[in-house]
Amino acid sequence: MESNKKYWKGLEELNQTPAFVEGSKSEFAEPIPVEDVLNEAGLSTKTPRRDFLKALGFGLGAVTLAACNRTPIHKAVPYVIKPEEVTPGIPNFYASSFNGQSIIVRTREGRPISLEANPNAIGLNQGTDSATTASVLDLYDMSKLQNPQIGGKDVEWAKLDQAVVDALNKAQSAGKQITIVSNTINSPSSLAAIAALATKYPSTQHVQVDAVSYSGIIEANRASFGKAVIPSYHFDKAQVVVSVAADFLGTWLAGEEHTQDYIKNRDHKSLKGGKMSRHIQFESGLSMTGSNADVRIAIKPSEEGAVLISLYNAITGQSVAGGTNHAKAKTAIALAAKELVNARGTSVVVSGSNDTNVQALTNAINTALGAYGSIIDLDNFSKQHQGSDSSFQSFLSAAKAGQVGVAIFWNTNPVYDYFKVDDVKAAIAKVDYTVSFSDRADETASELKAIATNSTYLESWGDASAKEGLFTIVQPTINPVFNTRQAEQSLINWAGVNKPIHDFVKENWEANILAGTGKAWKDVLQQGFIYKGSATGSAYTANVDVNAAAAAIATDAKRIAGGVELKVYESPNIRDGRWANNAYLQELPDPVSKVTWDNFAAINPADAEELGVKETGKVTVEANGYKVDLPVLLQPGQARGTVSVAVGYGRTKVGKAGNNVGVNAYPFASLVNGTIQFSAKASVSKASGIYELAQTQTHHTIEGRNIIRETSFANYLKDPNSESGRFSDTHQTYDLWNKFEQPGHRWVMAIDLNACTGCGACIVACNVENNVPVVGRDEVRRRREMHWLRIDRYYTLNAGDSKLTKEKEIAKADGLDYEDVTVVYQPMLCQHCEHAPCETVCPVLATVHSSEGLNHMAYNRCFGTRYCANNCPYKVRRFNWFNYWNDSRFDNYLNNEFTQLVLNPDVTTRSRGVMEKCSMCIQRIQAGKLQAKVENRKVKDGDIHMACQAACSANAIIFGDANDPESEVSKALRNERIYYVLEEINVQPNIGYMTKVRNTFEA
Amino acid sequence: MRNISSVLGRLAKSISISLVLLFAVTTTTQAQDAANGAALFKSNACNSCHAVGKKLTGPDLAGLTERRDEAWIVKWIHNPQGMIDSGDEQAVALKAEYATTMAPYASLSEGDIKDIIAYLQAEEAKKKEKAAADPAAAGGSSASSDANNLMIIGLIALFVVAVAVIFALNRVTKTLERVIANNQASIDAAQAKTDEEGESGSVKFAKAFLKNKKLVFFVVLMVVGLLGVAGWKTMWNVGVHEGYKPVQPIKFSHQIHAGVNQIECQYCHGGAFKSKNASIPSANVCMNCHNTITASDHYDGNISPEIAKLYRAVDWDPESRSYGTNTRPIEWVRIHNLPDFAYFNHSQHVVVAGVECQTCHGPIQDMEEVYQYSPLTMKWCIDCHKETSVNTDNAYYDQLIEAHDKLKKGEKMTAAMIGGLECGKCHY
Repeated sequence: MESNKKYWKGLEELNQTPAFVEGSKSEFAEPIPVEDVLNEAGLSTKTPRRDFLKALGFGLGAVTLAACNRTPIHKAVPYVIKPEEVTPGIPNFYASSFNGQSIIVRTREGRPISLEANPNAIGLNQGTDSATTASVLDLYDMSKLQNPQIGGKDVEWAKLDQAVVDALNKAQSAGKQITIVSNTINSPSSLAAIAALATKYPSTQHVQVDAVSYSGIIEANRASFGKAVIPSYHFDKAQVVVSVAADFLGTWLAGEEHTQDYIKNRDHKSLKGGKMSRHIQFESGLSMTGSNADVRIAIKPSEEGAVLISLYNAITGQSVAGGTNHAKAKTAIALAAKELVNARGTSVVVSGSNDTNVQALTNAINTALGAYGSIIDLDNFSKQHQGSDSSFQSFLSAAKAGQVGVAIFWNTNPVYDYFKVDDVKAAIAKVDYTVSFSDRADETASELKAIATNSTYLESWGDASAKEGLFTIVQPTINPVFNTRQAEQSLINWAGVNKPIHDFVKENWEANILAGTGKAWKDVLQQGFIYKGSATGSAYTANVDVNAAAAAIATDAKRIAGGVELKVYESPNIRDGRWANNAYLQELPDPVSKVTWDNFAAINPADAEELGVKETGKVTVEANGYKVDLPVLLQPGQARGTVSVAVGYGRTKVGKAGNNVGVNAYPFASLVNGTIQFSAKASVSKASGIYELAQTQTHHTIEGRNIIRETSFANYLKDPNSESGRFSDTHQTYDLWNKFEQPGHRWVMAIDLNACTGCGACIVACNVENNVPVVGRDEVRRRREMHWLRIDRYYTLNAGDSKLTKEKEIAKADGLDYEDVTVVYQPMLCQHCEHAPCETVCPVLATVHSSEGLNHMAYNRCFGTRYCANNCPYKVRRFNWFNYWNDSRFDNYLNNEFTQLVLNPDVTTRSRGVMEKCSMCIQRIQAGKLQAKVENRKVKDGDIHMACQAACSANAIIFGDANDPESEVSKALRNERIYYVLEEINVQPNIGYMTKVRNTFEA
Repeated sequence: MRNISSVLGRLAKSISISLVLLFAVTTTTQAQDAANGAALFKSNACNSCHAVGKKLTGPDLAGLTERRDEAWIVKWIHNPQGMIDSGDEQAVALKAEYATTMAPYASLSEGDIKDIIAYLQAEEAKKKEKAAADPAAAGGSSASSDANNLMIIGLIALFVVAVAVIFALNRVTKTLERVIANNQASIDAAQAKTDEEGESGSVKFAKAFLKNKKLVFFVVLMVVGLLGVAGWKTMWNVGVHEGYKPVQPIKFSHQIHAGVNQIECQYCHGGAFKSKNASIPSANVCMNCHNTITASDHYDGNISPEIAKLYRAVDWDPESRSYGTNTRPIEWVRIHNLPDFAYFNHSQHVVVAGVECQTCHGPIQDMEEVYQYSPLTMKWCIDCHKETSVNTDNAYYDQLIEAHDKLKKGEKMTAAMIGGLECGKCHY
């Protein structure tokens, strides 16, 4: 059964614009100048004999001279005293943690090169988000400071310590405050270091502020439950999820952990058991979470509260005033409420708002649904977002009043990310002495008197406690590379506690965490974490005055409503901008828009038409007195009359890669009722100028081929084979070639389209593992991104009852509802075809098939005809137009010897003029096989993990040996939902995809 | 120059030493066998903790008989711990001074011990004599400055001689020119005569050869062919460094270590059994043995200059027997250079396949200096993969062997047959 839905990658494909049609015909974005050379004028040019001889002579001479360098002499320099645990060529693994997630860092010869989730951890134990995976690059960032600084000049640590201690003593004697301003700190040893400083200087205060604040939830919970915390959410227990503008799979609270839990009710294992959760999303901009929802209703930011009020009314049967009038939303709310009530105890409503009243109302709804205790855990609460907007306000006013003697800024950058920069600057100017623990002279640090350069987490001792009861260790994997010192060490030095930070952390653990657990310090270093929390939380009842909350919500909605409504959001890659200098993250395409290296104003295509802007156009967005020009992105799914802009961009002092990328959107924020709000009333107008966003979305067109298979859950239950449309079920295939035996292994992959959320963590993991270079914005515009693995995002239009089945109909249909689109993500990588079309066209046999089912690529054999890329039906081959890792034109990050230390020594760095593609992490396969041979055994299923697979918290990628019938992948490939992309052209791909199943209402 | 001077110096030293030794032996009242003592001193590994004129792990044995009487020494050697326990004053003092207590050597007879003492006395006398006879030899630096002086003197002498020779030759030339000028007529006549005779010889042959076009063509063809073959061979060997034997910063001899002393390859190159890198041992591995082995018996009691380089690298002071902090890694010259795009794993070959080190590295145990034995070309790899049977004892291969047996009964299964020639096995 052929699917009758039509999928498209971008509006230009949907509308078949002339430029797109033209562009889709050629393999490479820029035409190869063959025509120019072979035209008549070119051919008729005569080369005089003398010129020919001159050229010949010069060429010969030049080549001879160029070849005349001596064979270089290589030095082999062994250790003087080799550390016992290091064997050159063999990786070492250390337990550590990043952002509170327990991870395992892989080091080679003493340098960290990659990291993966700790599989034994509590909570998130599978997969890492893109920022975590990419964080290894931050260690090798050349934009960091190499020495501590006072007044922008390098100084010795002793001098800096003296200056800071003098300032602290002065503040102490003058009776002034000493304030540590930081982002959320949940690390017990960091807090102990602050406490140590507070013991010496009793006027020390600690203010926590987050760039993207969750104060609203904390304050609402304080009012509703008397517990000022952010709960932990367990989406694995939720059968029905309604999210109102919460990007809970991406940026909201703990997106990665939510993904792992959420997918447990939606992946192939759950479907095999006949179960699938239902997810309904109400939001304005198309978020990654919204794109994964079963039902998505586009609403304006001002309607978020109203939707929750209607939902509350529908669930409890009450009639609180202020419900929504949005027709579609009303229908959806009625259906959703029924679902939610039916699934009481296994249903939950989440809201992404930072407004206390909205969150209080959400608490009331969840109490009515009985979500507290099972899904929402207030006992083992999250400690990842403790920032308080109000305490930062009081710091600012105290500083302006001259009451602050010393201000220490730690992992916080208010000069960049606070909405009123002038306020922060004025406050800083009034503080007697200011110090930053930044690792670089960023926007805030460069305004301060001193920078006590912090080490990265890979160079530090420390810990984290992302959740109540969960303690993870941070242990260094390398000595500090530069003359840096971790912040905790600085603090305890200033507090007069003269001991190494290792001893300080260890003693703190032994006294406060390990006591009573029976575990020793060494056990923790090996295990990486300790969990002392309870298994489940207890039930809570929210004490909320719903009517008052509803009234406040209605008032606030008036602030936003009218005209164009602006929603400022966090993008899943760059987040709040902290890691803006990480080139891997900058080049990782946004999951939905597929834009790299920029932020943009996302508006609905219909609105764009009204405004008269087209793709590559620019708009001026003005809100809260801040006015800025942004490139426009026509975003299907965007609510009409809204515009979305991502924060985290527009940094000016972060480093080579991140400086002046995009526009700062933080000034759009405002302080309402004591919390920072990211929605505002805005005006959008067409601006002059052209700006081409570096998008990857239309670089690889599918030309209307049927490569996405999607079904509904109801149909799946009737027939698991529904819509899988396997060609081999109905057609006989023939071989031109003799069948060859594959007696050893046959490495294959299965990808569950229902599990893939499109986050792109796998892409970063692949980059790190396989030394895939970052090419920069201009090269992406030329379609030259090097990612071996991409996530294709396909839109479909939901055209109500009348299904649009043919391409022509779509093109002709007037008044398309661009708000109502659904999205399917498809990870696309080399399919390692058994009948690979690339192999047959390579004139030098640089790409050949192996007996283990892999499509090998011998870089040193390739001489760059690019025939293979031309012949690849999946468009997964990448050509090195330059020596990206060693070329001054690509000075993003890797063009220096220090950063090159991040490269995986087991993988060749490809040179200019060479084709490359997914190797199925052959270095990992070979290492896994060798390990088995050395241990005199067979390879066990699960011995070998692909880098992308290890980074996927949704377990969407399953890899293994198809010759082992009991392997996970063999089982997965026997699933009814399996289909092979472009199977009909008989290339016999080795990667099977499982149909997308959507748990829609109507079916 | 320097070599000659040092050889002469050594010769002089050894003559004087043997004279002294002769003297010492003949003057010993009790005719103890110093040679037997020397043998025992080594065979019982006394020398790993003791030396004459130098404190090692144990005390300096110079002046031993002056400090202790023989009976005490015998008793001590037979049971040191017992003497300490019995509260012997000297024994307790020793215990207090040195961290480690000497092991008992009960098997040594009193005669043996006396022999050893005789040997020690002879050594001591030898040392003293040497110090008296050759004060310059006491310090290595003065010897080298001697050599330097000698070299400068030699150079000056050479320069003077060269100037003299030039002057003399100049005079000779002038004289000869005068002679020619005087006898021009007779020289011309003689010249004409020889020209006529020459015409009849080689020139005639050349003319005849040039007339034979076929022969010329053949010769030219041969030359072109030879050049072509030579060029072809040269081109094939571009980048092939078989026999590459660079000068290493330390004249380390595998022949002494792996050959004579039969130290297992693994002891230093343990990585070959675990990792892709065979790994050059870190200097601390060398120091496991070389903190006592100084090869001083080959260098007149001085530390071997090559071992001294090792000490400089790890900043080991042999006098105080302690390590400093100023370490400098040894920069060996890499001999076996595989290109970066070729992945080679030692453990796969050494552990899994059981290939001997010598198969690729040649007779390493006989190499005074290591050179590249194998060409390390891809052809060389592939040839071996085509010929070598897979070590089928490994459980990993069970599945493959089954499949293989079905296909070809009785034939050997080579690496090539199980994918050992596929690009991706080495290139990724």
